[in-house]
Amino acid sequence: MLTLERVTKRFGGITAVHDVSLEVRQGDLLGIIGPNGAGKTTLFNVISGYYRPEEGRVRFDGHDVTGEAPHLICRRGLTRTFQIVKPFGNLSVLDNVTVGALTRIAAVREARAEAEQVIERCGLAAHAATHAKALPIGLRKRLEVARALATHPRLLLLDEVMSGITPTELAGMIDLVRRLHADGLTLIVIEHIMAAMMRLAQRIVVLHHGERIAEGTPAEIASDRRVIDAYLGDEFSLAEA
Amino acid sequence: MAGLIPHRGALVLFGAAALFPLVVRDAFFLDSVVLILLWGALSAAWNVAGGYAGQVSIGHASFFGIGAYSSALMVTRFERNPWLGLLLGIALSLIAGLVIGFLSNRLKGPYFALSTIAFSQVLLIAVSRWRGFTAGAEGIPVPFRPGFATLGLSHVAWVYVALVVAILYYLIQVYLERSRLGLQLAGVREDEDAAEAVGVASRRLKVLAVASSAGLTSVCGSLWAQYIGFVDPAYVFSVDLSVRFALNAIIGGVGTALGPYVGSLLITTVETYLRAQFSGIRTGFTGIYLILYGAVLIVVVRFFPEGLVGLASRWWLRRPGRARAAGAPGPA
Repeated sequence: MLTLERVTKRFGGITAVHDVSLEVRQGDLLGIIGPNGAGKTTLFNVISGYYRPEEGRVRFDGHDVTGEAPHLICRRGLTRTFQIVKPFGNLSVLDNVTVGALTRIAAVREARAEAEQVIERCGLAAHAATHAKALPIGLRKRLEVARALATHPRLLLLDEVMSGITPTELAGMIDLVRRLHADGLTLIVIEHIMAAMMRLAQRIVVLHHGERIAEGTPAEIASDRRVIDAYLGDEFSLAEA
Repeated sequence: MAGLIPHRGALVLFGAAALFPLVVRDAFFLDSVVLILLWGALSAAWNVAGGYAGQVSIGHASFFGIGAYSSALMVTRFERNPWLGLLLGIALSLIAGLVIGFLSNRLKGPYFALSTIAFSQVLLIAVSRWRGFTAGAEGIPVPFRPGFATLGLSHVAWVYVALVVAILYYLIQVYLERSRLGLQLAGVREDEDAAEAVGVASRRLKVLAVASSAGLTSVCGSLWAQYIGFVDPAYVFSVDLSVRFALNAIIGGVGTALGPYVGSLLITTVETYLRAQFSGIRTGFTGIYLILYGAVLIVVVRFFPEGLVGLASRWWLRRPGRARAAGAPGPA
C-alpha cells in the first residue's frame, strides 16, 4: 500500500531523515519508535506531503505521491494526525469532524450524519456540541483521531496519540486503535509508550538520528542490542508489556 | 416561519430600514440610512475574507477605490453607463484580489495585513499620479443624470438600492455559514495545516475568499461613487477606510452574518452624530473619532471578541427557561 524508497530529508545542514525505506501492506499495523529528534514526525510530514524529500520517493497504491499537496494525498486515502494536536478550537466537536467528513461527502447534512457516527465510534458522543478549545488534552487527542477517521482513510498515520493522557484514557485509546485495525484500517503509529506499542504493533521500525536501525516484531526489537543502546535501555523487558 | 427565527435580528434591522423612508422624508436621515447600509455591506464583504476565512486585510480600500474609479471613469471618460463601470470594477478587483490572495499564501498574519496596506497605498499613488487618465489627485466629480440606468436616484430610491445590496450580502454570509464551503473555510481559519490534513484545499480556498471579498467590495465602491458624486483618491484608497470596513465587522461580530451591520449601525451613527456636533472644528473632530474607534476596538477585542452579536446571543441563551440550542454557527 505504501512504499518509501530511500527517503532523505535535509534542513540546511541537518539531515533529519537519511535513506529510509519501508513498506506497509494493507491490514498492517506498523509501529515507529525512536528517541526524540530521530525523525519520526519528519517522516510523517514527508509521507503526507508537508515536506518534499531531497531524495527518494513515496508511493501510495503504486502512485508516486512524493511532495504532492497534503489535501490531495488525503483524498487518495492517506490521512495523518498531528503530534501536537490541532483542533479547530472555535468549532464544536461535531463541526470539527464534519469538516473531515466533507472531504468525501458533498452534502452538509449527510456529512454531519457521518460525523455523528464517527464521533459515536470514537466515544465522543457526550461532547459533540462542546467547542473544541474547551476540551482537555485526552479528548482533544480523541478528536484528532475522529476528525481524521471521518475522511475515510485507508491508511491512517497516528502521531503520538497516547502521550500526555491519563492511564484510563490510555487504555481507551489502545482499545480504539485496536478496534480500528480490526475493522480493516491500515495504520502506522508513532509512539513513545512502549507498553502500548508492544501490545498493538505487528511490526516495528526503529529510527535513530534519522536512520532506520532496526525492523522486526516487538519481541525481536525488544531484544535487539542496537535498539536497547539507542533507545530502550537495559531495564526494559518484554514482561512489562 | 420557524426557519426565520435565527434571522430575527436581520429581519428587525432590514425591516426597519425598509419602512424608514415611508415614515421619514428628511434627506439627512435618509442619507444616514443609506450610509449605514452601504458601510454594513462593505464590512460584510470584508467579513468574507477577514471573518470567515481568517485573512485579516487592512487594504480593502484597494477594491473599493477600484470600483469607485471604474464607475466614475466609465461615466466621465467613456460616457457609458455606470453599471458597465460596476462590472468592470468587479473584474479588475477580482484580479487584484487574486494578487492579494496569492500574497496571503506567502505571508502570515500581521505581515499579510501590512502587505494589504501597501497594496492600497501603491494604488493611491498610482492613481494620483496618472493625471492624464484619472484626473490625478483632484479626483473625479461624477455628474448626476436622473434615471436608474445612470444611477441618478432620489434619496428614497438609494435607500432601497442599498437595502437590496445589504440583504444580498447578508444572505451570502449566511450561505457561507451553512455550506460545505463555509465549513471548510472555518477549518482553514482555525488551523490551515490541520485542514489540509483532512482534505481541505486551504491555499485555494483562501485565494477564493479574498478574491470574492474583493469583488463584493468593488460593487459597493461603484455604487458609492454614483451616490456621493465625487471620487477623491486620497479618500477611496485610504487606510482609514480599510480600517473602517474591518472595524464594523469586528465590533459587530467578526464571522457572523449580522455583525457587520450591527457594527455599522453603531459606528456610522456615532460618527454622524460627532460630525454634526463638531462640524466647525475639522482637525479636532478627526482626532476624536479615531481615538474613539481605537478605544472601542481595544475593549471589544479584549473583553468580548465575539462582538456585539456574540454578546447578544450569549445573553439570549442565558435567559431563564431557555434550553441550549444546538451549537452556535461560526466562531464563538
